[in-house]
Amino acid sequence: MASTEAEATEHRRGDTRAGAGGPRYPGWLALPAVTWYLLFFLVPLGFIAVTSFGEVVGFSDVAYTWTLDNYRYLWDDFFGDFHLYRDIYFETFKLSVIGTLSTLVIGFPLAYYIARYAKHKTLLLLLVIVPFWTSFLIRAYAWLIILDPEFPVFRALGISGFVESHELLFTPKAVYIGVAYNYLPLMVLPLYAALERIDWSLVEAAQDLGDPPWRAFRRITLPLALPGVLAGSLLVFIPLTGEYIIPVILGGNKTFYAGNLIAQQFLESRDWPLGSALAMVVIGALTIALLVYARALGRQEQHS
Amino acid sequence: MSDEITIWEQPVSRRGFVAGATAAALAAAGLGRLGGDAFAATGAANAGGTLFYYNWAQYVNPKTYAAFEKATGIKVKKGFYDSNETLHAKLKGGARGYDLVCPTGYMTKVLIAEKRLQALDWSQLKNVTKNVDPKFHNTADDPKSTYSVVKDWGTTGFMYRTDKIKERPTSWKEFVALTKKYSKTVMVDSSPEVVGSIATMLGYSYNTDNQEELDEVKKVLLDLKPHIVALHSSNYDTLIAKGKAWMGLGWNGDGLALAAKVPAQYVVAKEGGEIWIDYYNIPEGASNPDAAHAWIDFVYQPKINGLETSYTYYGSPLKRSLLKGTAAGKLLTDKVVFPPAATVKKLETNQVTAKGTRLRERIWTEFKAS
Repeated sequence: MASTEAEATEHRRGDTRAGAGGPRYPGWLALPAVTWYLLFFLVPLGFIAVTSFGEVVGFSDVAYTWTLDNYRYLWDDFFGDFHLYRDIYFETFKLSVIGTLSTLVIGFPLAYYIARYAKHKTLLLLLVIVPFWTSFLIRAYAWLIILDPEFPVFRALGISGFVESHELLFTPKAVYIGVAYNYLPLMVLPLYAALERIDWSLVEAAQDLGDPPWRAFRRITLPLALPGVLAGSLLVFIPLTGEYIIPVILGGNKTFYAGNLIAQQFLESRDWPLGSALAMVVIGALTIALLVYARALGRQEQHS
Repeated sequence: MSDEITIWEQPVSRRGFVAGATAAALAAAGLGRLGGDAFAATGAANAGGTLFYYNWAQYVNPKTYAAFEKATGIKVKKGFYDSNETLHAKLKGGARGYDLVCPTGYMTKVLIAEKRLQALDWSQLKNVTKNVDPKFHNTADDPKSTYSVVKDWGTTGFMYRTDKIKERPTSWKEFVALTKKYSKTVMVDSSPEVVGSIATMLGYSYNTDNQEELDEVKKVLLDLKPHIVALHSSNYDTLIAKGKAWMGLGWNGDGLALAAKVPAQYVVAKEGGEIWIDYYNIPEGASNPDAAHAWIDFVYQPKINGLETSYTYYGSPLKRSLLKGTAAGKLLTDKVVFPPAATVKKLETNQVTAKGTRLRERIWTEFKAS
């Protein structure tokens, strides 16, 4: 029985791939999107790749000499005794992982509640999205006020001293808080989309058949929500590897991540080739991670 | 992010007349100018249209904008940057349409060398010729004043809250010691100033590009890092005013503006430091160079220039006698705005070499990442 169903699914998927599943759309409809990607993603990416093999001449001009110096410089840094850039990349990785996990931990219960129990789903979803209506910058600046020990609410609660003793503003902690807040909607929305499709009677059935709630959660809810978890994690993790503004505003510009490092090469140091090489390393690492991820996903689909 | 304003090709207005000296520069930008010519040719006296002024934040008296718009009918559109390097990156990155920018001398020099500036039309700058102290013409940064007019000048030192700090520091050594003592120091987010100032503390040139000397600077800086509250060029003084920080490495004008709000003192350190000049430049690709000329000429009327100095607290290049009786009159004897010659003698302008810049950027990255 199970195998026939799997076969049927497989069959159906095959059909969809052939394009027989629904109304046929002409292929040229993809043209605007493809052109867009070509012009504004692949071409600039090509520029970055080429620039990363250049060198600076004079004050700030780039000579395209096909030198490997920038990569050699980074290689020496990564694998040498003195590893400045490696440390910065490690901090960035840490920020991305912790940022993703914290939005997941905070976002999952919220998405779960909205999807399963909430009466006013649309209203709650709207509240999740509302912060997006304000500029990212303003939201980050708002935290400057909230994390300030002088924040009126802290004063009213009489905990200004407590907040002050746990200095938050202009520390990495403030960066983490800002990240968790700013990226939360990106996690909640895909989680909600996945959880909302779950047929809760499956969970009830598992519980009726003797599973305690946590096991029903692990065996039914979690696997079904997994696509949402993965999508949300990607949406949060990838931009976080380039996060640059939150450390500047909330970290007092004295905590440094890959985004800041790359921006510095372009804006301050006038070293576009090194900046490009630094960017290519991030892009390369992300590509490898995504390939691994895609393979894992493929394997998982075969299993189910 | 106000400094993120990038504008693409805009209809370019032509100058009413082109001085011989500017012809070559204009030809260089010829392609950009072939685009729309929606505006009719206009003279400087009534240039009309819009002036896109890309500048440091809080570097123009708000009253000046209003007076200028009223007098000329030119609307001022503002964008802000917080470092010379950001401005350079914008211009190099191809941003066009900025009509007027105010880089520091070393950056003006670079922009001239890279042919990113238009030659000025001095026939439109009568007030400058008439009112500016001749020693501010033909400076080392632009020997024939082809591309630049001095906007104002100042020093890089430190400021501190006299109500929070009992000590009365006068040197970089004391600044460093008090930073370690109180952990309440902010700095501008700019490597030349920070690295250079510490270099003078160690007895080296503000512009050193010597590896060993810079290694020593690095040691001092890494030592200081845990005691730094924040690195921000545009709001470090606000942090001091609010009491989030008690000391700051920065510019004299900010120090005086601070002292006007809270008990504070600005100090040119005993060991030395930087003296800088900011210039008015008109970039290549400016949409309305006439408006830029009109602005420059406008602010060199003594009354307006006094208004500017009384707001920015930076030294005016005008002949001193002309500033008497203007809003800046009472600042003429202020040693922070117009430091005495003996002080000026100790100070250096930013002349860091390309080699020095590379070494310093690496130190700066380490400092920030530590």
